[in-house]
Amino acid sequence: MKQDYFSANNIKYIDYKDIEILKKFLNPNGKIMNHKRTGVTAKNQRQLAGAIKNARFLGLLPFVAK
Amino acid sequence: MDNTNENIETNSRIYEVGYLLVPTLSEENVPGVYSGLKDLVVGFGGEIISDEMPKMIPIAYSMLKVVQNVRNKFNTAYFGWIKFEISADKISEIKKKLDLDPNVIRFLILKTVRENTIAAKRFVHKDSRRKAPTVKKEGENETVLPIDKEEIDKEIDAMVSA
Repeated sequence: MKQDYFSANNIKYIDYKDIEILKKFLNPNGKIMNHKRTGVTAKNQRQLAGAIKNARFLGLLPFVAK
Repeated sequence: MDNTNENIETNSRIYEVGYLLVPTLSEENVPGVYSGLKDLVVGFGGEIISDEMPKMIPIAYSMLKVVQNVRNKFNTAYFGWIKFEISADKISEIKKKLDLDPNVIRFLILKTVRENTIAAKRFVHKDSRRKAPTVKKEGENETVLPIDKEEIDKEIDAMVSA
């Protein structure tokens, strides 16, 4: 992924409930991928990290995947 | 943006509460709890923008909730959310009420935007922005005829003599 996924799909607000999107940015262990791997802009990467953390708190995404 | 007409109530903000309800509730009791939560918001003067019915989901890790000094472990829950507009000083009172609610395992209050933020259904497929097909240059496929030197010489001679 070279281009920013969120601006390519015209997503302005990254929602913690969109777990299908958020899952794309997790590695097999459930960690958030580096911005170098995701290709997301710095601003969106921060929003993305926040959204993933919110989703984790509500049990929608794992903190650690086995 | 379109905040001008909303600023009559100066301190009002858009919030979203995501919550998990205990799975021990039976299916028929869920709508009651769900409307109870909505009434709670409306009771504090909130205006509901959008919401989703709680539905049973498997949660990613087990969560604990202590009810009457008994630890309860949950691996499933009803997940639902409400988006609403309310004045900023009322949100802490909603938080206090939710903290005491025995049916809520966890909840999360977020500041958000009025627009619908769920994007999953209107995906632009990656292939729609495909590269323009490369145009084949015409005449490229024509095989170049081998040049016969004698033929050319003859032609030139003919042209000169003419």
